[in-house]
Amino acid sequence: MAQTIVVTSGKGGVGKTTTSAAFASGLALRGHRTVVIDFDVGLRNLDLVMGCERRVVYDFINVIHGEARLQQALIRDRTLDNLYILPTSQTRDKEALSAEGVARVMAELQQEFDYIVCDSPAGIETGALRALYHADAAIVVTNPEVSSVRDSDRILGILAARSKRAEEGREPVQEHLLLTRYSPKRVQEGEMLSLEDVKELLRVPLLGVIPESPVILQASNQGIPAIHMKGSDVAQAYEDTVARFLGEERPLRFVQQEKSSFFKRLFGG
Amino acid sequence: MARQADSNSLRLSGGVFTLTVLRLQSLDPDPLEQQWQEQSAALGILQGAPVVIDLADCKEQEISQELPKIIQILRQRGCTPVGIRNATPAQQAAADQLGLAQLRGMESSPQSMKKNHQRPELTPASPPLEHPLRSGQRHYARGQDLICLATVNAGAEVLADGHIHIYGPLRGRALAGVQGDETAQIFCQRLEAELIAIAGIYQTLDPQHPLWGRAARIFLDGEQMAIMPLEK
Repeated sequence: MAQTIVVTSGKGGVGKTTTSAAFASGLALRGHRTVVIDFDVGLRNLDLVMGCERRVVYDFINVIHGEARLQQALIRDRTLDNLYILPTSQTRDKEALSAEGVARVMAELQQEFDYIVCDSPAGIETGALRALYHADAAIVVTNPEVSSVRDSDRILGILAARSKRAEEGREPVQEHLLLTRYSPKRVQEGEMLSLEDVKELLRVPLLGVIPESPVILQASNQGIPAIHMKGSDVAQAYEDTVARFLGEERPLRFVQQEKSSFFKRLFGG
Repeated sequence: MARQADSNSLRLSGGVFTLTVLRLQSLDPDPLEQQWQEQSAALGILQGAPVVIDLADCKEQEISQELPKIIQILRQRGCTPVGIRNATPAQQAAADQLGLAQLRGMESSPQSMKKNHQRPELTPASPPLEHPLRSGQRHYARGQDLICLATVNAGAEVLADGHIHIYGPLRGRALAGVQGDETAQIFCQRLEAELIAIAGIYQTLDPQHPLWGRAARIFLDGEQMAIMPLEK
């Protein structure tokens, strides 16, 4: 049986799609058969971030409506053989995600994969509810600022009440906090909530901290999941995140402000 | 052409409305008129509002002559009487003639209402809430005290007919004694609430409050809300 993971946040623009792409790639890099699904019907970003936008013929909605077979809609990743992308439609809206249709597709994917990563749209409407419904685990992507924390809190409440696990009275969805766009310098200057603040407010186990970095933008513009940006802090942070998810112990990195070296200070580097 | 009876021409639905209750001390129209003129600024909020006339204080008085005048005065002042309550049968008959509805509920006088508002029979508290109550979630302990072991986050709401105990930070709203029990209290380990209320008397808080972030006990001292530190 595959494990289903929803990447969600409530608030938009916090890094859900970036995280979905990097996290799914990270699982695949470690040898797990993984599929990542775009639930953001009508906006369709995941295929861009994964760099497969020109290979989309059939999509998730076609499969839900029986207009295509699942195998026709799944796109194999450019670099990883065991990673597939199920893109969504740009021309439909979220009402096209029927509960029965999604359940049928999920059941079929369960047979084929080890991990199903669901990239949720922002908000708390149909799209987001469908994305989280089947989840076994949730990665709640949060930026270190008050409104993002508030929305994450809201989505955690919905996860506890409206997921399939909650409805069936099973063990609750496993909750993970992923803090993204974290800048220790700005925390120190009091412009951002600190890691401790966010943990204290949300009280969810921390899965990782992804530093604020221009590399993210470069990666998504090139259609490369950030975890492939070799040597960057972002790639390392996502690798750590995947490792922790799989049960490894990894120390937190990139949460302290880097001391500039003696020479840098001397020469104004 | 005669119209066919359309089965879709009528839909029944329910709704809960808040109405202003005008409690008359006397059925004499003149003092009413006079008071209205004196307090026109305060009563201006009734402009355009639907009102219910409460006759609890006029049980002994015959109304058939006076009620139409009173209604007329109210209409002239811009409010719309929609019903009466606490009426005697004779008063009811007069109201029927004027097309006013009979409204039920809270029929008792304020003194006996106070009695009803004493601590209601509470059943033992349910098991405590173990998980944080999150933004958008709401928990009501009907006929009970409420015990919460985790946080009540900003945007969440806890309500109880009895006391509320929160063994974590209170960042959302807490409303104790929601059925009107003025002896209900709120206890919390860390007061950072958006709003606290006891028996309908409420207060919003901000970080400037002297007890912000501290363990606190909230109760009613007469009509005033009192917030005291929990530790001595």
